[in-house]
Amino acid sequence: MKEAYIVSAVRTPGCKRAKGAFKDTLPLDLISFILKASVDKIKLDPNEIDDVMIGCAFPEAEQGLNIGRNAAKIAGFPDKVSGATVNRFCASGLEAIADAAMRIMSGWCDVTIGAGVESMTYVPMGGNLPRPYPDLEKKQIDLFISMGTTAENVAKRYNVTRQQQDEFAYQSQMKAANAQKKGLFTEIVPTPATKFVTQPDGTVKRETFIQSFDDGVRDDTTVEGLAKLRPAFSLTGSVTAGNSSQTTDGAAATVLMSAEKAKALGLKPLAKFKLFTTIGCRSDEMGVGPRYAIPKLLDKAGLKVEDIGVWEINEAFASQALYSMRELGIDKYLDRVNINGGAIALGHPLGCTGAKLAATLIANMQRTGAKYGVESMCIGGGMGAAALFELCD
Amino acid sequence: MSRKIRQAAVIGSGVMGGGIAALLASAGVKTLLMDIVPFDLKEDEKKDRKARNRIVAAGLENIRKSKPAALMLAKDIELISIGNTEDDFAKLAECDWIVEVVVENLKIKQDLFKRIEKVRKKGAVVSSNTSGIPLKAMSEGLSDDFKQHFLGTHFFNPVRYMKLLEIIPGEKTLPDVLKYMADFGERRLGKGIVWAKDTPNFVGNRVGVQSSGRSMQLMLEHGLTIPEVDALFGPAMGRPKTGMFKTTDLVGLDIAAHVAKNTYDLVKDDEARDSFVLPDFVQKMLEKKMLGNKTKGGFYKTDLTPEWKKIRKVLNLKTFEYEEYGKVEFPCLAAAAKAKTPEEKINAMVFGDDKGSKFVWRCVAENLIYATNRIPEIADTIVEIDNALRWGFGMERGPFEGWDLMGVERTVARMEKDGLKVPEKVKKMLAAGNKTFYKVEKGQRFFFDFASQGYKPVRTNATMIDLAILKGENKVVLGNSSASLIDLGDGVFCAEFHTKMNALNDEIIDFLGKAHDYVDANGVGLVIGNQAGGMPGAFSAGADLRQMREAAGAGMFAEIEASVKKLQETILRGRYSSYPVVAAPFGLALGGGAEICLGADRIVAHAELYMGLVEVGVGLLPGGTGCSALWRKILENVPDSVSDFELGKFFIPVFQAIAMAKVSTSAAEARATGFLGPKDRIVFNRDLLIGEAKKEVLRMVEDGYAPAVKRPIRVFGEAAFGMVNAELLNMQAAGYVSEYDCFVSSKVAMAIGGGQSRTGGYVPEDNMLALERKTFVELLHQEKTIARIDHMLKTGKPLRN
Repeated sequence: MKEAYIVSAVRTPGCKRAKGAFKDTLPLDLISFILKASVDKIKLDPNEIDDVMIGCAFPEAEQGLNIGRNAAKIAGFPDKVSGATVNRFCASGLEAIADAAMRIMSGWCDVTIGAGVESMTYVPMGGNLPRPYPDLEKKQIDLFISMGTTAENVAKRYNVTRQQQDEFAYQSQMKAANAQKKGLFTEIVPTPATKFVTQPDGTVKRETFIQSFDDGVRDDTTVEGLAKLRPAFSLTGSVTAGNSSQTTDGAAATVLMSAEKAKALGLKPLAKFKLFTTIGCRSDEMGVGPRYAIPKLLDKAGLKVEDIGVWEINEAFASQALYSMRELGIDKYLDRVNINGGAIALGHPLGCTGAKLAATLIANMQRTGAKYGVESMCIGGGMGAAALFELCD
Repeated sequence: MSRKIRQAAVIGSGVMGGGIAALLASAGVKTLLMDIVPFDLKEDEKKDRKARNRIVAAGLENIRKSKPAALMLAKDIELISIGNTEDDFAKLAECDWIVEVVVENLKIKQDLFKRIEKVRKKGAVVSSNTSGIPLKAMSEGLSDDFKQHFLGTHFFNPVRYMKLLEIIPGEKTLPDVLKYMADFGERRLGKGIVWAKDTPNFVGNRVGVQSSGRSMQLMLEHGLTIPEVDALFGPAMGRPKTGMFKTTDLVGLDIAAHVAKNTYDLVKDDEARDSFVLPDFVQKMLEKKMLGNKTKGGFYKTDLTPEWKKIRKVLNLKTFEYEEYGKVEFPCLAAAAKAKTPEEKINAMVFGDDKGSKFVWRCVAENLIYATNRIPEIADTIVEIDNALRWGFGMERGPFEGWDLMGVERTVARMEKDGLKVPEKVKKMLAAGNKTFYKVEKGQRFFFDFASQGYKPVRTNATMIDLAILKGENKVVLGNSSASLIDLGDGVFCAEFHTKMNALNDEIIDFLGKAHDYVDANGVGLVIGNQAGGMPGAFSAGADLRQMREAAGAGMFAEIEASVKKLQETILRGRYSSYPVVAAPFGLALGGGAEICLGADRIVAHAELYMGLVEVGVGLLPGGTGCSALWRKILENVPDSVSDFELGKFFIPVFQAIAMAKVSTSAAEARATGFLGPKDRIVFNRDLLIGEAKKEVLRMVEDGYAPAVKRPIRVFGEAAFGMVNAELLNMQAAGYVSEYDCFVSSKVAMAIGGGQSRTGGYVPEDNMLALERKTFVELLHQEKTIARIDHMLKTGKPLRN
């Protein structure tokens, strides 16, 4: 079997849903821009690309009609470059990279792109036409539970306190603010954003500006301030808007190719995509996903927690991230986890997140020189996903 | 010229100014709200428009937050623009009515009017909302044209809810300006107009404050306590439950004292001038800042027990400490409680032998004399004084209306016996054989006019219909002890309920069926409406819960289902009969009351409408058409050409309205939630409601009325319970709803969704009704529903079990 190498990994900034810089930017604009940017960065001739896999958690309306193909075309790729949309909810972006990698590993393709996009502004979480299964017996009703409720369940069942969650959220914000100040988000490509500007004559015109940073980071966050927030999902709960991920718009893309192709094109691989795994868990505590996905991944790779130099564990909720890390002993290596902050500060653009975290992970591996990096996340409906990356010399 | 108020301006953004602006906006009038630039601006703020508008912006914010709500619909605030009196003064040139509500200071008002005179457009009306400063002084030195368009418009607080609007003509105000403003106030703003003269504190406050000032003095003379006075001058006397002192706590003692002092200073020739000298304890309270609710303590104070229970205490005027108090008991109160009619009640209160009754008599007698002596000083007729006290103080009747109930001859005799000086004009009236201040003849109400010493018709808006008068004139064509069918003329009949809170019982359902038969045979259309009193009053508070509970207790479920079926059929006759049926709801229109409205061809609603399908509160669902009717009403305004749309977006608000037992806070809000449709009308003046409803019936007939066609209803189907069950799971986990709430709510979802149907499919209306009805009875079988009903009957509050 061939090996799949990542030669480019970039992302747009993550911007707050409905209020942030991308509130008027179509998801198709975000994803087509980042596809082109990922290719331009390594001066790759798009004719080389075989296929584009794009993760999207709610592939409908502005994200529908197979955004995978449409984005490739709007990015300016030639007709022959095909594209597909991939959905595994919050792991969609990572699933897309894994699918892209498998095509190379199997020898079906030489060059692929794995990407992700989500405009939570344009397509709300849950979609425009939610239709939970109308089962009178309510047997599988947990499948349609709200994510907030699952986070409360995790906190309650596994004793993750409010204070622990708030402290974790605070750290996420501080790490992100610090990384922003130091310019550590090297994986970001400044992205054109749309705004509708009222002209002097009262008409409205579509204009473009460049957005270069994640706009949900709050460097003025305090633990005391977080402690004052009301529980968002339960009268007596501990999960708040402050210790949950932000809802966000964004896109990210990763270019993969075989070693042979990279060599032929004279491109230096950044990292090897080693392994990907998923696993199911109880729907009503879907946040525990990483707790099962990570050990499954490490077992297959023959690695231990201490072997991993950098982690990107998606902060869907502080409660589930804390629980998963605690159970796996990752909490002993907190300085390796989400080193530039996580989704609590930077946002969780659902289907984009898997691709976004891959770009961030690779940038962090390069900077720290960590040999192995792991990305993991929980998934609505009750699943976990995890992927292993190995740094190239 | 055709007078119009295209835009209004309110200068002064305090409680009253804000209240007026909010009412104007609620009535759809674009309004410019203005206030001064703050005096204390820092150097760098002096050119900052935001800083310069700080005061008026705060005023606007107070409108937004005001409780009870000043606006009828939150988004009406968009009709209010703000500015300051330095930068934006020229904008007044665009306004057709400018009302001044600035601080009560003559010099400031004079200066303001001088500035307004320079910018106002020709013909623009300018008014003052002053409560005490003479108009004559304010307009001194201004041009004739200004004076011709200048008048007093005195609103009462809270402006949205208090009906009184005193209009005070200036010396030179043009009659057409007065006529226009009175009509605007009455029809557009829904106010009751009282014509006042330019005298201190005008009509309502002059007579009202004499009463409260003198009552405080007499309270001390008679050795009564504050709670005793409040109990005596409460509902037993046709006055608000809050009583005199609790009302003062609401208004603020400082304001009450200011009005009293202002009157005292200005009414040098008043024979009862000393009534306006408030007792020493008032001064002491003012010094101690015991001003009422705004200082968390006035005559009353609410304390918390160590167990966090609220406990109400009252001021002991001797010790000046707050102390607990019990139920007030007087023989006169006991007798009034037993009395059936208002007449018996007032007589029990005034003609008793006990200490309480003697006090009441004295207060009332002196106030009657005082009010009589104020004619023609403050107003030309007794009608103005009666209206002012009813509309401005929430009383059921004015002094002269009360006097009639007590018997004028009898009262005058007792006044004389007590050494009170009975006004000559009353003695003359009696001597001429006129025994009452009011009388009704041939459907017309007359009042006794002191000036001409004879009766004159009480002039009202031509649209106004008084059902009580019609009933007195034998216009009832059929009825029973719960409802009457009244002939409104022109072939239109009014189905009037008259049970307690106009609750719907079997008698009313029976009656409605017969009323329809009657109108079908003899009329052109039907109005369903009534004129029950009270604020906000009740069009109908819904089904008679006690009757339902008793039937369920006796296991008569088949009978209940039959009766619900009959209710459904009766309600839907409003929709499918071959003549127009217009519902005229006001105040509370809950449960079955709302269902009756939803079943009518059209709703003509009073602006103060508290409408909702609240059955879930007692563990039931709207079974008398409510579920299907609200759904249908919301969907029926989607044009057929919109072939496909997301039914879920329509389903959610309907489900929430019913499952959360939401009640609208105004007719505008009821429209926003779909209870009122685009063709339904909102009337601001409650007195005109039946008349407007009748006009609507006649218009519909004139327009060639065709009844609605019974068609299958498009439903959300099984997606409804899928969606609701998933959401309920979260709500229950969050602790927002109980398990039983979930149970009831999923039944509601089934009923609105049309049961187990294909999403987007069509279900015959009769099937929807059958589902609603069966679910209703099914819920009545549930122990927890019965517990909810029992709790509601016992405490008046919903039980969450």
